[in-house]
Amino acid sequence: MVPAQYYLILSAAVFCIGLFGLLTRRNALLFLMSVELMLNAANINLVAFSYYWGNVTGQTFGLFTMALAAAEVAVGIGIILVLYRNFDDVDVTKATTMRW
Amino acid sequence: MAGILEFAPAIVLLPFLSFLIALGAGRYMPKGGALAGIGATAGSFLLAVATFVAVSGGQTYNQTIYTWAEGLDAVDLTFGLLIDPLSAMMLVIVTLIAFLVHVFSLGYMNDDGQTGLPRYYAGLGLFTASMLGFVVADNLLMAFMFFELVGLCSYLLIGFWFRQDGPPSAAKKAFLVTRFGDYFFLIGVVAVFATFGSAAFAGPDAFPVLAEEALAGEHSVNTFLGMGEQAWFTVVGLLVLGGVVGKSAQFPLHTWLPDAMEGPTPVSALIHAATMVAAGVYLVARMYGFYALTPTTLAIIALIGGFTALFAATMGVVKKEIKQVLAYSTISQYGYMMLGLGAGGYVAATFHLMTHAFFKALLFLGAGSVIIAMHHNENMWDMGGLKEKMPVTYYAFLSGSLALAGIVPFAGFWSKDEVLYETLIHGLGGSPILLAAYAMGLLAVFFTGFYTFRMVFLTFHGEPRSETARNPHGVRWNVKAPLAVLGVLAATAGLVNMVPVEKLFGIKGIDFLHQFLDGSFDSLNAHHYAELIPYSSGYIGGEAGTVAIGAAVSLGLALAGAGLAYVLYNVPEPVEHTEKLGSIKTVLYNNYYQDEYQVWIATGVVQPISRVLDKFDQGVVDGVVNGVSSVSLFLGSRMRRIQSGVVSNYAALLTLGLTALLLGLGLIGGWFA
Repeated sequence: MVPAQYYLILSAAVFCIGLFGLLTRRNALLFLMSVELMLNAANINLVAFSYYWGNVTGQTFGLFTMALAAAEVAVGIGIILVLYRNFDDVDVTKATTMRW
Repeated sequence: MAGILEFAPAIVLLPFLSFLIALGAGRYMPKGGALAGIGATAGSFLLAVATFVAVSGGQTYNQTIYTWAEGLDAVDLTFGLLIDPLSAMMLVIVTLIAFLVHVFSLGYMNDDGQTGLPRYYAGLGLFTASMLGFVVADNLLMAFMFFELVGLCSYLLIGFWFRQDGPPSAAKKAFLVTRFGDYFFLIGVVAVFATFGSAAFAGPDAFPVLAEEALAGEHSVNTFLGMGEQAWFTVVGLLVLGGVVGKSAQFPLHTWLPDAMEGPTPVSALIHAATMVAAGVYLVARMYGFYALTPTTLAIIALIGGFTALFAATMGVVKKEIKQVLAYSTISQYGYMMLGLGAGGYVAATFHLMTHAFFKALLFLGAGSVIIAMHHNENMWDMGGLKEKMPVTYYAFLSGSLALAGIVPFAGFWSKDEVLYETLIHGLGGSPILLAAYAMGLLAVFFTGFYTFRMVFLTFHGEPRSETARNPHGVRWNVKAPLAVLGVLAATAGLVNMVPVEKLFGIKGIDFLHQFLDGSFDSLNAHHYAELIPYSSGYIGGEAGTVAIGAAVSLGLALAGAGLAYVLYNVPEPVEHTEKLGSIKTVLYNNYYQDEYQVWIATGVVQPISRVLDKFDQGVVDGVVNGVSSVSLFLGSRMRRIQSGVVSNYAALLTLGLTALLLGLGLIGGWFA
């Protein structure tokens, strides 16, 4: 049996990759992908702990989270489309009309 | 007559109705609403007479009509009616004078083609109703409310000719000066409620009775500021007295009254004789059971009264305008009433209140008649010789003047003499303050005789001194009839209470007013008051001797004053003898610079203090508030910079925040230890 720490390290690594992408990229699509990575890192945690405790509830939550992620992507893509339509670009740093 | 007292509220409501009618429909009515007022006051007068008769028969009425604020574990605030001999007498006086003033106004205002008559008659109606409400009030708070209404109406009527410069300013002055006194009165009302938990004048929880029992040690009441009961009652009495001094135009709050002459003359008659100015003295008489308990307050009342009587009389000596002379005589006469009350002469003061109402209303209406004749010129130096031209006015005016000067047997003699007599015997009984007040009152008798007859001789005798005086404007029945009624009353009203005659000749039972004011609630009758007052009596040569000496001295002084006026002014071409007084005349003519020093107090003392307070308010209080807001504004303008609109920055801030939070939690939780 693979020890739980490995899963957690994997999860932390995936989360950090996602966070790195979020902080450094300017392309909104890459933003969305980064967010997906972070979400999946959390999902890995859920499944890992579920496996560790021998309780299936966490895995069920994992399934729900995937469905949620799909919905989130739909909304995110929609936002990106609108962003493109309004600013002719998907660069998130260009859309600064909501500043002070 | 059973049940006639049940109609007492109508006495108050009828003039109020006429106020509503004149206000709402006066424009469409003939005479501008005067008839409604005349009808209402006539009805009130008849009811008041019926009430008076019923009260003479021993009936009294003390009923709460309406509770407008019910207190839980606290006092109820109510409107109620208290009809006892004092209020019954006052009801008759007020309704009679109001009725005559309404009739006279037909001649003074309508025949003169004045505009704004509905407003005028509405004011008269409300004025009468407020005064009547004040008279029948059964508790101090209701009295205060109607007291204020009376003040409001006087403001409206004094400022009736608001398009000219003088009247609005005089109206404002009357309002503000009396309001200054009323401010103390209001605190006094609250103090009475706080002390006794009741402000009723009569009944089981009447506050004068509670005060009396508290002083006798039967139960305790709340006192404040760590004072004993006696001291605290004195404070409360003086607070209420503030309102009295303002309304009854006593020194130093008398300055509004001469200026109030700017109003129409019938209004002056109403203000001086029956309403407004009478309200102050009536209030002291109404709660005399309370004042009689505090010797200090009584002494102050007597001193203020005596001083005002003399002080105002000296100013009346030099005035040029007929209404000004009358104004100062009013202040002086109300001084006598205060003197009488302060000296323990409850019946004497009430008596003077009654006779003064008749002869002062008469004098003002007479002056009004003269002013009509003179085409609204009030300067006595332009008059003269009006005696032949207007005999009715002359003889009525003469009757009033004899009463005012206190010449036997006219009304004023009896009442003024009784006031002075009471002061004298109580002063001789061991009160030097009363003797001082008596001396001032006595001296004022001389001045009163002088200025009254100076006015009569200048106005009616000698040669006419102007074109209008040679051809005066005629007056009609509506002016003459009220004058005739009041002329008879001024001559005879004193006969109801001939105490000197009774005492000198031993005729028992002709002091009708004494007997009348004795028949009442136990706590409200003259007999009870006589037991309460803290004075003892002293006599020179027995009671009859003192009466004779007192009457002879005051009559002698009045005659001396009148005689001096006769010598100086009853000549065809009188000259201004008062010029010989030199600088004294200037001081008198300028009213002892009372107005000037009061204006100085306002601008020289109060204004700088207000300015400092304004600085404090604007600088410190507003500074703190503004400081807080400008700090918020400044911080906000800096903090908002983080709202850059760049999503990446927000994400970075989120991450940093989360990290900082985790680090903080870790440090506190000791993860790194």
